[in-house]
Amino acid sequence: MRERATGHGRGAVITGLGIVAPNGVGTDAYWKAVREGMTFLDELSREGCEHFPLRVAGQVRGFEPGAVIEERYLVQTDRFSHFAMAAADLAVEDALLPAAEMSPFAVGVVTAAGSGGGEFGQRELQQLWGKGPRYVGPYQSIAWFYAASTGQISIRGGFKGPCGVVANDEAGGLDAIAHACRSIRRGADAMVVGAAEAPLAPYSIVCQLGYEEMSLAREPGRAYLPFTEDARGFAPGEGGAMLVVEEEGAALRRGARVRGRIIGHAATFTGPSQWERSREGLAQAIRVALADADCAPEEIDVVFADALGVPAADRAEALALTDALGTHGRRVPVTAPKTGFGRAYCAAPALDVAAAVLAMEHRVVPPTPYVTDVCHDLDLVTGTSRSAEPRTALVLSRGLMGCNAALVLRGPEGDN
Amino acid sequence: MSTQLSYGELATLMKSCAGLTVDPQLLETRPDATFEEFGLDSLGLLAIVGELENRYGTPIEPGAESSKTPGDFLDVINTSLTTGA
Repeated sequence: MRERATGHGRGAVITGLGIVAPNGVGTDAYWKAVREGMTFLDELSREGCEHFPLRVAGQVRGFEPGAVIEERYLVQTDRFSHFAMAAADLAVEDALLPAAEMSPFAVGVVTAAGSGGGEFGQRELQQLWGKGPRYVGPYQSIAWFYAASTGQISIRGGFKGPCGVVANDEAGGLDAIAHACRSIRRGADAMVVGAAEAPLAPYSIVCQLGYEEMSLAREPGRAYLPFTEDARGFAPGEGGAMLVVEEEGAALRRGARVRGRIIGHAATFTGPSQWERSREGLAQAIRVALADADCAPEEIDVVFADALGVPAADRAEALALTDALGTHGRRVPVTAPKTGFGRAYCAAPALDVAAAVLAMEHRVVPPTPYVTDVCHDLDLVTGTSRSAEPRTALVLSRGLMGCNAALVLRGPEGDN
Repeated sequence: MSTQLSYGELATLMKSCAGLTVDPQLLETRPDATFEEFGLDSLGLLAIVGELENRYGTPIEPGAESSKTPGDFLDVINTSLTTGA
């Protein structure tokens, strides 16, 4: 029997959001860009990437790691961990988490990552074949490992509670959040959880060039157009979102501001690039997540779609919504803010969770940037944000390697 | 005596290899304080040993990377550099 990730007893609430993304550093900047459907895809300008067929990406600019992270952590970490540490700081600050007054064993960390520390790893590997093994620094042993961010956030924050890493494809960004809820059910008071990726280093991009699903379009406005006739893959992005998730009772006792609750999750697997089959995988993830949340299909007020931008995958997702939600699947507002700033692998669904919390807070459904003419039977919000009163949000994610996940969130006012 | 490592040079290495800002005089006046107190972990010390080996083109005596204090470390390194171990 599977263990419920969420559910009765020790419920999990979101009390802090921290974001480092191409469309903004910090929750306010991110939300402003998402709400207004601002566009941030542009020419890939990272050094060493000039001659790659990939031309359009979502790059984090205006983020100076040295301004927010101590040098002793910078020398031993990659850019993806810089994003994760900075986002974790922002989340802890947003939550006003009194970490210094809590037992260190009451606070844990979970992250998801797929790409790992490519930039750091490339530098050290160039030393290896350029000068020899004596010139590879010892921090290579930890920096490019996908688990690095969890470890560094834990060490830096003094969080000695349950720590883990979910390596489960893009969908791992949602699975990590479910894992944090499980840790809370098992006794942790607070979890710092999310995902960050920095897949735009030359080495990392070369690793991705084999993905048929990646868009090689040369114009930002044509690169990532899911659910349209012009869909030709996804534009990659970088960045991350971290959350503070707390046990509801503990959060209320300390007077924390509850920004949202995590009420349901499920994950399925349907095989790498098997996009037609992902229809059943996504539909089943939605059904089980709704059952986990004790939530009827009609209660879903907004869907944050995976929106891969591959015609077969888009069709599968649109069909999965009606498979799992019935006719409500055609009426419920669907959005994909990530088209505005790129698909940051595991970080993409974590950024969507943050957007979903903010959408419920601000009572709007943000639009899907760049997208205009939708060719599938679903109500995709395009152009400008739509006024609504979303109380329950469904966030979907699929990985290129075949993992699917669904997460159900509810606004802070709760069930009653 | 250019092949003798000083506390000042150790402080510079702690900065370049491990990102730590340490007052060289503090290292010199407290040679028995632990590296841990200065924030240097075992990987950081390993990085310093590797840098010294590359700089001097000579292997450092095994065990230097497990020194616990700046004083011990300088003893091992300088013995190693003197004897060309």
